[in-house]
Amino acid sequence: MELTFEQKTDIGFEYVLDLVEPCSCFGAAKLKNTSVFSSKESLTREFDNIEKILTVMDARAKAIQIIDICFMQMKDISKTVEKCKQTSLTDVELFEIKRFLLLNRDLYPAFKELNDGTDLWDIEFADLSEALKIVDPDNTGVASFFVSDASSPALAAARAEKKKIENEIRLTGDPARKEDLLIQRTVIAAKEEEAEMAVKREMSKKLIPFLDDITKNTESAAKLDLTIRKAVLSRKRQTCRPVISEEAVSFENMTNPKIADVLAESDKSFTPVSITAKKGATVITGANMGGKSVALKTLALNTLLALCGFFPFAEKAEVPMLDNIYMISEDLESVDKGLSSFGGEIIKFNEIAGKINARSMALFDEFARGTNPDEGASIVRAVTKWLNGKEAVSVLTTHYDGVAPLAGSHFQVIGLKNVDFNAVKKEIDAVSKDRGAARIAEYMNYGLYKVTDKSDCPRDALSICKLLDMDKEIVALAEKYY
Amino acid sequence: MKLTDLTNKYYSLSIIGMCKNAGKTTVLNRLIDEMTKDGKNFAITSIGRDGEGSDLVTRTHKPGIYVPSGTLVATATQMLKYCDVTREILDTTGITTPLGEVIIFKARSDGKVQIAGPSIVSQLITVREKLRSFGAQRVMIDGAISRKSLCAHNVSDATVLCTGASYDKSIEKVVADTGFICELLTVPEYKDADFEKAEESGSRNCFAKNADGELFIVDDLEKTLREGKIKTVYFGGALSDSMLKPVIMSSTSIKGVRFIVGDASKFIMSRDIYIKTIAKGASFGVLYGVNPVAVTINPFSAYGFSFDKDEFMQKMKGAVKLPVINVEEV
Repeated sequence: MELTFEQKTDIGFEYVLDLVEPCSCFGAAKLKNTSVFSSKESLTREFDNIEKILTVMDARAKAIQIIDICFMQMKDISKTVEKCKQTSLTDVELFEIKRFLLLNRDLYPAFKELNDGTDLWDIEFADLSEALKIVDPDNTGVASFFVSDASSPALAAARAEKKKIENEIRLTGDPARKEDLLIQRTVIAAKEEEAEMAVKREMSKKLIPFLDDITKNTESAAKLDLTIRKAVLSRKRQTCRPVISEEAVSFENMTNPKIADVLAESDKSFTPVSITAKKGATVITGANMGGKSVALKTLALNTLLALCGFFPFAEKAEVPMLDNIYMISEDLESVDKGLSSFGGEIIKFNEIAGKINARSMALFDEFARGTNPDEGASIVRAVTKWLNGKEAVSVLTTHYDGVAPLAGSHFQVIGLKNVDFNAVKKEIDAVSKDRGAARIAEYMNYGLYKVTDKSDCPRDALSICKLLDMDKEIVALAEKYY
Repeated sequence: MKLTDLTNKYYSLSIIGMCKNAGKTTVLNRLIDEMTKDGKNFAITSIGRDGEGSDLVTRTHKPGIYVPSGTLVATATQMLKYCDVTREILDTTGITTPLGEVIIFKARSDGKVQIAGPSIVSQLITVREKLRSFGAQRVMIDGAISRKSLCAHNVSDATVLCTGASYDKSIEKVVADTGFICELLTVPEYKDADFEKAEESGSRNCFAKNADGELFIVDDLEKTLREGKIKTVYFGGALSDSMLKPVIMSSTSIKGVRFIVGDASKFIMSRDIYIKTIAKGASFGVLYGVNPVAVTINPFSAYGFSFDKDEFMQKMKGAVKLPVINVEEV
């Protein structure tokens, strides 16, 4: 996965991760390390698990609620587990183990209920009731930790003796006597500590055979937590289980939650995007303001999500197994390095060109836009032609002419294509001039359609000029130059 | 006189000292004793920790806190080795300090404990509320050496200020400075929504308001006071001598002006400047007040001398408006 953190933030991937909201610290840690699945089998199992949870989540909501509550209370005990392998634990550490085991005890039946007939892949919880008996020998079931008198006769004796002296300390009015008693008490307290240490040492030793199961349970907790969260997220939004294809990336009506949520704040909605990109080059063309970049980001987001084991935000989805997604888009990095944006793009392209293979996807947002349009167009044509001969799935957005025919397939932003031009013109003339652009944006269809003939870039730019009442003489001249 | 007579109606009580060996621990032990006799369930924690090392330097007798069975204690894990009560671990708080995570335990026997609680006010509040959830009817907060942090609002419902001969060789200086601190601790609360907002945002700016309630950002305090009909001035952060001195030295009238800070810990000016400011007709205010309920005195110094206890008591009573108690006398 070669997208930088900034790019992942930009396409809305980090935003989606934030929507996951794990209940357990284990799930949160696993989510932070989200990466693409490398084997088809494990990715399939991940999707299976989400689907399985989705199937039972209503009927077994109560069990999930219990599991979630246990998850929320679980703390990371990995360091304590490691320490236990080496040496004796303190009472605070034994408390942590006990708390974990108690939560495990509460979780166990809820998980059994959830998993009955569901049979989640690779998620198992070991029964640790025997381990719990070690740290809770008196079977109190309370969440505190106390080495009880019953643990050792030496301990009970020391405590009884200490108690006697403490009572005397409370009663005596003689300071000298009190001082004397306090010293006696300190001696006994040391004996008590010694006896308690022996008990704790014994407990720690007895825990060792259970440590691997404890660790496995935390791993299962992480997986189960994230699977439930992914299912919950899938339920909240339009998502689908992707098909793992052989070569094509394909989405029907996909959306981008980050952008959709921003639009929703101003009562606008995200226009779903559909696209299929096979091995070789696919080109997206469209007018300015047309949302080509949004389409590309949305494609990057949903492909990455699917590869990382999430249900993508689409009605239908297909993705092949990919190891890497590369993206070249407008960013500040090249500026930081003192390169022109064009120079920066070329350097990045060189890096990517050396790496792409059958298991990569390469995305280019308005490649070479920063240079002179004639040269830029030639370079993009060449790049497209070259990418079209490669095994990688490449998608480029461009408004340069003569690029689309060199690609394997061509998608265009619907834009103003289906709009009744005269009706819009009338409406725009009725509102104040400065609101015209906003009006056009409302009529703009940001969806994509597949171009099957040999047509090139749309001519929406000129339409926009006309709609916005550009000087007729200039428009006439422009038409002549087209 | 019982100390708890003064503190009983408050859930949380902080004990702060003018200096080391002011008798804080003695006060704490006395409160523990009184509360035990009253049958109260109580808890102990602290803000930060007193440096035990410096006690080794002065070689003074440090009483140590001796608690009865049943006491709830919030302390850092590294302090547990100095605690010899039989204990039941109740919770780990997730709050980490340089001395380890703060944990909560219940004493299952009488015995000595050493306390190092969170050093951040908001965390201390979390711990205080956790102790309440474990059944504490009273929480005592040992204020470590610094009197400053515990002045912060919200931490405790009431405060006991400890002072003593260890503060200075001169009885006059001990009395005068304690009197001044008491005066600062009792500076009246002044509520102002704008200033409170600035305080919450952690602003370091200085704002002024005129009689019409107009708000200004202050650059040059003296100039602002000279030109506008300023009624109140709020200082984000601390108020020091260097901020007030130019005003006091000038001929600008500050009659009727109120100088406001977030809480009493933000006053770091000298007594001299404080008195001069008031003499010129100005006054002070805090957005969040503390509630000092008593002053305790310790006539014995850790440095080998002592004051006459009656003289000390008499002079201190003359200097503060609060009840004064000699820690050594029950």
